[in-house]
Amino acid sequence: MDWNLLVLQLINGLTLGAIYAVIALGYTMVYGIIELINFAHGDVYTAGSFVALATLTLLGATRHMAAAALAFALIVTFLAAMLIMGATGVVIERFAYRPLRGRQRLAPLLTAIGVSFSLENILQLWMGPSPVPFPQVLPNPFFNLGAVGVGQMQLVVIFSSIVMMLALHFFVQGTKLGKAMRATAQDWMAAEIMGIDINKTIALTFFIGSVLAGAGGVITGLYYGNVWFINGFRAGLIAFTAAVLGGIGNTTGAALGGFVIGFVEVMTAQYVGFQWAEVTIFSVLILVLIFRPTGLLGQQLPERT
Amino acid sequence: MRRLLFLLAGLAVISLIAMGPGSGGLQPANGAAMAGKTIKIGVDLPMSGGEAPNGEPTNNAVLLAIDEANKAGGYKGMMFEEVLKDDAVNGVHDPAQGAKNVQELLADSAVVGIMGNFNSNVGKATIPITNAAGVVQISPSQTNPGLTKPEFGALDVRKAHPTQINYFRVCPTDDLQGPVAADYAFKKLKLKKVAILDDQETYGKGIADEFAREFGKLGGTVVSRDGIPKGTQDFHAILTAIKAKAPDLLFFGGVTTTGGGLIRKQMKDVGLTIPYEGGDGIVEDEFLKVAGDDANGSYGTVAAENAEKLPTAKGFLAAYKAKYKSDPGAYSANGYVAAKIIIDAVKAVGPDRAKVRAWVANLKNYKSIIGTFSFDKNGDTTNKIVSVYTVKNGKWEWLDQINFTL
Amino acid sequence: MRVLKRLVPYRTALVILLVLLLFPLVDHNAGHINAGADAAVYVLLALGLNIVVGFAGLLDLGYAAFFAIGSYTYAFAASPFYHLHLPFWPMLLVGAIIAGVFGALLGAPTLRLRGDYLAIVTLGFGEIVPTVFLNLPKYTGGTNGIVGIDQPTLFGYQFGFNPLPYYYTLIVIIVVSVIGVLRLRDSRLGRAWLAVREDEIAAASMGVNLVTTKLLAFSFGAFFSGFAGALYVAKLGVVSPDQFNFTVSFTILAMVVLGGMGNVFGVIAGAAILYEFQTLFLADLTQWSNNLGHAWGILFLTKLNFVNLKFLLYGLGLVFLMLLRPEGIFPERRIRAIITERESVATEIPPADVSAAGSPAGGPPPHAGP
Repeated sequence: MDWNLLVLQLINGLTLGAIYAVIALGYTMVYGIIELINFAHGDVYTAGSFVALATLTLLGATRHMAAAALAFALIVTFLAAMLIMGATGVVIERFAYRPLRGRQRLAPLLTAIGVSFSLENILQLWMGPSPVPFPQVLPNPFFNLGAVGVGQMQLVVIFSSIVMMLALHFFVQGTKLGKAMRATAQDWMAAEIMGIDINKTIALTFFIGSVLAGAGGVITGLYYGNVWFINGFRAGLIAFTAAVLGGIGNTTGAALGGFVIGFVEVMTAQYVGFQWAEVTIFSVLILVLIFRPTGLLGQQLPERT
Repeated sequence: MRRLLFLLAGLAVISLIAMGPGSGGLQPANGAAMAGKTIKIGVDLPMSGGEAPNGEPTNNAVLLAIDEANKAGGYKGMMFEEVLKDDAVNGVHDPAQGAKNVQELLADSAVVGIMGNFNSNVGKATIPITNAAGVVQISPSQTNPGLTKPEFGALDVRKAHPTQINYFRVCPTDDLQGPVAADYAFKKLKLKKVAILDDQETYGKGIADEFAREFGKLGGTVVSRDGIPKGTQDFHAILTAIKAKAPDLLFFGGVTTTGGGLIRKQMKDVGLTIPYEGGDGIVEDEFLKVAGDDANGSYGTVAAENAEKLPTAKGFLAAYKAKYKSDPGAYSANGYVAAKIIIDAVKAVGPDRAKVRAWVANLKNYKSIIGTFSFDKNGDTTNKIVSVYTVKNGKWEWLDQINFTL
Repeated sequence: MRVLKRLVPYRTALVILLVLLLFPLVDHNAGHINAGADAAVYVLLALGLNIVVGFAGLLDLGYAAFFAIGSYTYAFAASPFYHLHLPFWPMLLVGAIIAGVFGALLGAPTLRLRGDYLAIVTLGFGEIVPTVFLNLPKYTGGTNGIVGIDQPTLFGYQFGFNPLPYYYTLIVIIVVSVIGVLRLRDSRLGRAWLAVREDEIAAASMGVNLVTTKLLAFSFGAFFSGFAGALYVAKLGVVSPDQFNFTVSFTILAMVVLGGMGNVFGVIAGAAILYEFQTLFLADLTQWSNNLGHAWGILFLTKLNFVNLKFLLYGLGLVFLMLLRPEGIFPERRIRAIITERESVATEIPPADVSAAGSPAGGPPPHAGP
């Protein structure tokens, strides 16, 4: 066993897992509150990259800008992507999902996929059918930490993802709005009796989930240096799997699930063969669910309310 | 109410089908008269979704060829016209849709020949149909040897008329490009250990297989061989694994969009600073855009002569740029030639399917913008020149060419 | 006479059947017949998935896996790949049985799961199965797939690539399947499925064996995809793993939901409509609008190009259709009853009505808050 290599791969897994985790949070929050697999979420994430790309181009940001100007451009880019995506999420919920709330539950699933197709196509019409290069404003030198090497962008990805996850955690656990969200997820009827505006709370959930996806889109744009309108499909599918693995509806579980799947994918590339990644990811999922039918951190629930 | 809806819906579907193109429903009133005056060339390419970058520039070139033919007066006063079909369903090329499209094209008696398809696995579904019908089909881009060469199983594809060749292609097959790439890497670049990645598609895996076979034969070592799951963006893990095996070269079988560009870019992220080589799937501007500054030091083979060295291609390049305000795609020139052959056949023998097929099958020393070539007994081009390119200063530059024609 | 009387409730279906039987006599375009035959394959798939989703209420997002298994079974048995050339008709049944067995095998690990956990596991199988076919080129032909698949012959008549015999064969198989499915629905097993769909706990306490009931649902569902698969690859002559990706699973599911889950005839209509919408209407929209523009002299219409828009139109079409008719175009009476009952009971729209129809697929309420 080559321990240095293992550590390198663990860093790769941590980076990949952080990205999956950030996307998975949006899935799990939406599912937790309205029991909908929001298939369009992966495309919201890709749209975040596109908005960031447009913003950076508009600001004319390059790697050779002064540090202060670059920092400003990045902040504006993050804000633009996060807010526009947040708004997109709210609009999608309002027009595609809310009219179906409480109806036959497969209908929203299909509208979600319909929204996903539509979003992909809007992105395609916007930036064209080919992959688009993303301005490489942050250098990505490879440097050595002791015996192993790590890319600078990997650290940025891991760090910023963890910051976002912590921020979400404090928001949900520590603020009034977060409490309203938790209450609605627990029992919407009781929540409503207690004076919580259900529609607002659900819209807020979509907003936050989409903001995270938008930020994730910016980060991966910077990291991979390239965006393509259909990227959201696989990322979304795997992130959703991560959410389920962690116990859908549970934010800590989603983060954990994201990291687990990141590691599984990386370890498959190293020790099994990259082409088996899908098979190992889904096999791990199925095995976990056989032994823990509600995911790693999901609770065993009573049958019906 | 329910039954009424049911009936209405059923009728709507049937009437839609009945009104479909080619069956007269919504045709203009003078449809019959017009049909006598146009000669149709069927085109089947993946045009929508993620496949549009493949289909669109190829189709543009076909339109260019048709335009030129019509400007020159068409054939005895009859104009050429394209009937375009998209074989992508939900954004992905689909053999069943290709088969359906080809059936529809064949049902229109004004269609004299078919230009297409783009993807090899679609061809496996369409060639048997055109073969049974005896209609000429010319592909710009399908490089899988199994479509024409009996030793790769082509007789199963042209089961109906194994000797009456109707399927032709103007691109050489993967079993030429792969070995050239291996030869160049081993003999000229003196690289002995290679890691191979492919995108697990017919083209990518095919060329990687042929590369591996030749590289092994020459005495080189293949240290690793992996496939890429569809849609992957993050290659850091597999590149880290490859780096640990210390190869001298990374060979990629596939196209830019299935990972060709991103892999090159991410090699640097994990500190893998070895040369990179691929097939014609990466020798395009798209690759340079995606890989950015890191594209330098990449090698690529193209199974054609360098278009810029061919004086014949200059006019085409200029016309294309003038009309579409963009650079042609990797298979634009081939698409142009494929359409041109059908047009020339009509000009020579008239708009008759059987005669057109026979004319193309006997094509000898055809002068085209991609060089002079004939079709061999399997329908493959005899123009077997493979060029080698490298990226220098962010541009693909021609290095060398190997001629298999003799 | 008694037979005729029993057919009365199905008179609409019989009229449509008659129209479909006569259709090739009117339209001689092989492309359209071909589209009809392909649509019929999807009708079979939708009939099968309807058993799992519509009858038993188990959400299956990976149905293409069984389609793939059925297709490859016939491809292995009748192609140069393994140098086997078994006859088509018996293999049609064998393919269906093998797919059915896999239905039970893959269904087994999902028995303890509820709701969307079940859905994601089936989605996983839907990804795993084609990937395995892709990654084992020695045994499956890998990405190149298998070509030269034998085509059926009937009393010496060669089917070849003529879509017409496939079209009629498929109609016959669909009619037989519909009779089978209807009888299955009204059988003891069928009522057990409905009971499980409506309330799993209640069904179990009434003596329904959940394990066998669910496994049989998966198994019968997969069985039909075996038929569909064998016919599909025989007609196409080639099979490769990318013909069975997630979009296929999803398309079949959309057909079932769009047509009206649980309603056999609705599902058939849903499949036919959606398939033709996708492959005929959207595919030829440009040509239609151009022709229309020529015919009516509207210049604007002659210049429209929908090729780049068709995927978008498909997505938007799905959204609007579901918003207009959430219970499907032809809802099953039972489902409609449940929905209207819920609506009249609920004063406010609940965030997600877990107990609405198809709720066994609904699973646990979202207690594990964010």
